[in-house]
Amino acid sequence: MFRTRSVVLVLVLLGLVLLAGALPAFAQSKVKLTVWGRDLPDDDPAHQYIKKVVEGFQAANPDIELDYVALGDPGLMDKVKVVMASGSGMPDIFQSWGGSVMGGYADAGRLLDLTEELAHIECSEAAKGAMTWKGKVYGVAPFFAVAGVFLNEPVFEELGLTVPTTVEELEAVADTLLANGIQPFACGARDLWPTLALYMYLVDRYGGIDAFEKARSRQIRFDSEPFVLAAQKYQDWVKKGYFGETPLSEAYGDAQVSMAIGLAAMHVTGSWMCAQYSDPEFTDQTLGFYPFPEMPGGKGKLTDIMGQTDIGFAASITAADKVDAVVRFMEYAMSVEACSADPGRICSVPGVPAPSRLTQMAAEVFGTAEAIQFWWDQDLPPAVTTPLNTTIQSFFMPETDVKQALAAYEDLVAAALGPVK
Amino acid sequence: MSGSPDAAPLAQANWHEVPRKKKYDYGRLIFQLLFLLPAVAFLLVFMFYPIEETFRTSLMQTSGVGESTYIGLENYRALIFGVHSEEFRAGFVHVLIWAFWSIVIQIPLAFFIAFSLVAYKSRFTGVLRVVYYMSSIIPSTIVAMLGRFVFAPKFGVIATLSKTLGWTWLARIDFLGDSGNVFWSLFAIATWAYIGFGIVYLMANIEQISADIREAAELDGANRFQYAVYVVAPMVSYPIRILAIINTVGCLKLFDIVYLMTQGGPRYSSTTLAVVLYRQGFVNWHYGLAAAIGVVIFLMSLFLSVAQFSLQRRGGDIA
Repeated sequence: MFRTRSVVLVLVLLGLVLLAGALPAFAQSKVKLTVWGRDLPDDDPAHQYIKKVVEGFQAANPDIELDYVALGDPGLMDKVKVVMASGSGMPDIFQSWGGSVMGGYADAGRLLDLTEELAHIECSEAAKGAMTWKGKVYGVAPFFAVAGVFLNEPVFEELGLTVPTTVEELEAVADTLLANGIQPFACGARDLWPTLALYMYLVDRYGGIDAFEKARSRQIRFDSEPFVLAAQKYQDWVKKGYFGETPLSEAYGDAQVSMAIGLAAMHVTGSWMCAQYSDPEFTDQTLGFYPFPEMPGGKGKLTDIMGQTDIGFAASITAADKVDAVVRFMEYAMSVEACSADPGRICSVPGVPAPSRLTQMAAEVFGTAEAIQFWWDQDLPPAVTTPLNTTIQSFFMPETDVKQALAAYEDLVAAALGPVK
Repeated sequence: MSGSPDAAPLAQANWHEVPRKKKYDYGRLIFQLLFLLPAVAFLLVFMFYPIEETFRTSLMQTSGVGESTYIGLENYRALIFGVHSEEFRAGFVHVLIWAFWSIVIQIPLAFFIAFSLVAYKSRFTGVLRVVYYMSSIIPSTIVAMLGRFVFAPKFGVIATLSKTLGWTWLARIDFLGDSGNVFWSLFAIATWAYIGFGIVYLMANIEQISADIREAAELDGANRFQYAVYVVAPMVSYPIRILAIINTVGCLKLFDIVYLMTQGGPRYSSTTLAVVLYRQGFVNWHYGLAAAIGVVIFLMSLFLSVAQFSLQRRGGDIA
């Protein structure tokens, strides 16, 4: 009896030892996927998509160990830049807005070409184009944002105003709002980049959809007519007080609050604000989303739309030996299941319903687009993007000579991209 | 005595000791080197190599990603005379203005607060010392957030107070958005944030002044202001000079509060050399230009540090 017990005990111990020995081997067979993102996967309404991706992907793929790291803004961009420069410590996948920044990494050989692997994933052409560089696809963009005019509908109704379809009507609306003590536009000029959306539209409405592309490809200068006219109009509006008395002190967050409490009536910005502007806990105002008006006599059309990636993912060369896991992550990121979790962004995946009236309106603006211009600061190389925003910010200073400011910017562009051919 | 039979072994012993003294103690040398090695390695890896790399990168055209091209002094030319000169010059001039006003305003203010805390000692002195120093230990991110909260238009502290009091003229002042006001708004916050160190440093020096000197001044009929200006200030002139150099070097590296409150704007109205460096390197991807700015800051800091050491040698210990 004692002998039998001893044998069983020895066998059990032997089994445990073998199991313990096998466990690391089993664990090693699990692929580890490191993903760097901007937002925390928490309960914040704006983070619902990323939360779903992190939790849903892990649950659906138990053979992959997902290590998601939230780095914030601008932490994500800064850290990605540093590791891409050093070539070591790169994540397998990182959140990317595509465009020229992603292109810079691709040119340096840091990204994984997934053109064939992602070809079967369905999405809008604009979103696909955003994650494509020199004919190669490096990632996916489940959400795409368009710029337009958020507008306080009850205020318009109360003052008998209609949604403007021309810039002249827009100015008349702004004058009426101003006369009634309401700030026409919220902006957030202190943070630089929020000033760009309106300028992109003004240049487009004066010079047409190809004005920017011509300047970028060095066929015309950045201080040529449409750019100067748009800048003059912008500064004219600043001087009239359309952006309030202290626009350069106001951050993007202040602009949102101004809209949320009805202090300002219009906000020209990206559709990523749909979730927040639909959230009854954030605002009790009813806002609508409309395309930016046309310029009488101008070349741009109501259907020329400015857009950019809202959320996207690209893969680094580090993941070359785990392409299958990367593709499975990209597929899940582009799934209806994951995308449906977002409460406000415009989804580029077919079959995902718009989560709110505001998103539906933005999606309709996107749907009517005949031409889409990629957001300038994503389309230009990094060397000249912040100087562009700084130049536009200077339009808010009454003493700025906009022609000189644009000429100085053109000199910078010429130094970085070469002179006009 | 030397010829005595007992002296011979002693002389022999001395003869043997002479070469032993000349023999080098390699064990001791290895022991010293072993202890020096970590510090030397640390300095080489984290100080001298980055300095050398910064100098080398400043002569290259590089985005940090991809290949680098040697361009000689072109980055320096672009900063001083070229397309980046407006931003660089603005940053350069602003740090000098910061340094000037920090010497003219912050140091006298720190001196008078320190003097008051020593001269009017009460049971609150300890608490006040903590209160003044507290701002120095608050992280600069929090300081910048508080600064933004104070100066924010519409919903900020000043805007709300001025509306409550009916002072519309005050509510209309654009503290951070007007190029004429932004420097003073940032300077006010920086003064609050950084003055604590100066106060505590000067207090420590003023407290060491003998009570006899104060009594002698009082007997001569000096009031407290005269005592502060004509007796105490000259006696702490050496620590004041050191404080001036510390402040000036600090201004050269000024980044956090400025970047977090205004990003150097509007346009370049409040930018500093460190802000320009950050933007050129990490935002605009001009690593070479950023390195060149780093070299300029390094050389200016080196010059001031040498001046500081020379002052220390001439000033000696605190009186």
